[in-house]
Amino acid sequence: MGYFLQQLVNGLELGSLYALVALGYTLIYGILELLNFAHGDVFMVGAFLAAGAAAALVHNEIAAIPGGFVVVLMLLVAMGGAGVLGVAIERVAYRPLRNANRLAPLITAIGVSLFLENAVFVWVSPAPVLVPTNALVSQGVIQAGSVATPLTGLVLFAGALALMIALDLFVFRTRFGSAMRATAQDREAATFMGIDVDRVIMVTFFIASALAGLGGVLFGLRYASVDFFMGYGLGIKAFTAAVIGGIGNIRGAMVGGLLLGVLESLSGGFISTQFQDTFVFLALIAVLLLRPQGLLGQPVTDRA
Amino acid sequence: MAKPRILVLAAIASVGLAACGGGSTGTATVNKPDKVQIAAEGPFTGPQAVIGAGALQAIQLAVKDFNKAGGVNGTQVTLLIWDDQHTAQVAQNFQAVGISDPTVLGIVGPMNSGVVLGTAPGLQQASPPLPLVSESASAVAVSESGWGVVHRVNARDDAQGPADAKFMMDQGAKKVFVMDAKSDYSIGLADQTQKYLKDHSVSLQRESAQQGQKDFSTIVTKIKASGADWVYFADEGPEAVFLVNEMKHQSLTIGNNIQFLGTDGEEDASIIANTQGAYAGAYATNIAADPAGLTSSAAQNYVTAFKAEYGPDSLSKAGPFYGSAYEAAQVLLQAIKNSPVKNGKISRADVLSNLGTATFNTIFGSVKFDSKGDVTGGGIYVYQAKGTQMVVVKQVSG
Repeated sequence: MGYFLQQLVNGLELGSLYALVALGYTLIYGILELLNFAHGDVFMVGAFLAAGAAAALVHNEIAAIPGGFVVVLMLLVAMGGAGVLGVAIERVAYRPLRNANRLAPLITAIGVSLFLENAVFVWVSPAPVLVPTNALVSQGVIQAGSVATPLTGLVLFAGALALMIALDLFVFRTRFGSAMRATAQDREAATFMGIDVDRVIMVTFFIASALAGLGGVLFGLRYASVDFFMGYGLGIKAFTAAVIGGIGNIRGAMVGGLLLGVLESLSGGFISTQFQDTFVFLALIAVLLLRPQGLLGQPVTDRA
Repeated sequence: MAKPRILVLAAIASVGLAACGGGSTGTATVNKPDKVQIAAEGPFTGPQAVIGAGALQAIQLAVKDFNKAGGVNGTQVTLLIWDDQHTAQVAQNFQAVGISDPTVLGIVGPMNSGVVLGTAPGLQQASPPLPLVSESASAVAVSESGWGVVHRVNARDDAQGPADAKFMMDQGAKKVFVMDAKSDYSIGLADQTQKYLKDHSVSLQRESAQQGQKDFSTIVTKIKASGADWVYFADEGPEAVFLVNEMKHQSLTIGNNIQFLGTDGEEDASIIANTQGAYAGAYATNIAADPAGLTSSAAQNYVTAFKAEYGPDSLSKAGPFYGSAYEAAQVLLQAIKNSPVKNGKISRADVLSNLGTATFNTIFGSVKFDSKGDVTGGGIYVYQAKGTQMVVVKQVSG
């Protein structure tokens, strides 16, 4: 029983990570119907910015200023940097193609993803880069009976949950949120209603990418190391999570992420880690066959 | 080794004398080939670039050094860079260019066993066959499939696997948690190690990590539940950092309540820094020696030259094969230099036959291939993380 609970906790933690990235995927898809395949790599760049900020302030495991301030600075740098990067990607790679064939932005998205990976590889580091967590955050472990999890893992879980709620409130309870939903429903009609669609899309990209940056910081604090290829695998899993939950649906991204994490952990823990991914993608196929719109998604009628 | 070189020198000298005697300028250029090209092939970008990037730097340095020393009788060697991204299909596209160009005389690489296995038949069927010298392909099948073009300077999995298993048993292993990372290389090696342990009745459990995996909590929970006293991770990639960090989170301390043995990519000192010391006490074996861990002057001079070329901290990013890549390039370049020049051309057939027969002088000493293309007397090196360094604690001959 203890083993089961431990694997469940492991899965929820991993699932929170997927959910964090999936939220950004789903937000952008919800507005633009665009699969932003570069999102995982924006997450990676955010993580590198955070690692860089930490490296500048921590030498030989001793922080120049209190660890808490370093973390705040990492958050600012990573979220700001990733947000700006997201806006730049939209401006350069997606906006010129907004009225083109729907496949075109998909290709540029993959191009941007490859560019970011290789740029970080060449200009920053081909090897994993350290996040000096020992000097930054408590390395404490929370023990409940036989189940243990690092404090930073709990922060990851809480962070994902809080963000999902905040995003949900933002999209459904604010003026700007309704402008976003209007843009999502009918871009042309939204323009007639006086909504600056370009601005809405830009802000959406900023929020989604800043979220990825935040995810990068939480990742760094939990796993203590970042590398240039981390965005790829995470991006694919997060995309899968978003589809399972119902792409375009914020709560769906959270549910999909957690479900995927738990599924992966339990299948790995009880069956075999050799077939872990087989079960994950089997689940994706099953969901697509039984509920093509995803668990929480609305059936879509094809818009012209 | 000295012998062929003296012969070559004597040949050049006699040609030179003849040229002087005859008063002709034409004969002096007889031995100068018009164009000499070799290719460096490996995963130079992408997830496996961790092993490829440093190897490429080493090969570039080897060609530069060779050219500085006069090249092939005065002709500078051109290096082609074939970034196969760990994919045989990509490799074949590059190799097609090389196969059709007779001045491409050989390949340093491919680095990954899977790529060698996928492309060797094509290289063999080329006319003349295009020879390769790999610095890191270790799967047994690479040299057991009977392709004459294949050579490698590193040791084989069936030398490394048993050596790894035996090392753990000598250290008193009771139960080993054997992990691969789902690549041709790591599955093959883990299989070899597993077989040896099983044959010697050591209990074990086999699991897999994913390439590029970051979250190891599921596996580490499993390690704890298994009661294993050794973790064996056959991997060449950057996953070890994340595994070791997770072991620390779940209070498995290397050298205390668990022992750790990694392979080729894992004798990298940067893992110690990247795990904030949690890797201390871990062991790792390598099929190729790290020149920085050797005392011979040839190896030390190479390390100095590498740092001078690529910066003082370049070794930490050079990966496990920056030594063997330089060695493989030296071997191929010497085989080319040993081959006869006819009408300004060197034939790949001559380079290939020279690879099979000659003894080569490298930074690791003299090197010779057996009939399968395996290096004779290749060794397995056992490293241990001590302080901030990986130190050679044992050398097992393969």
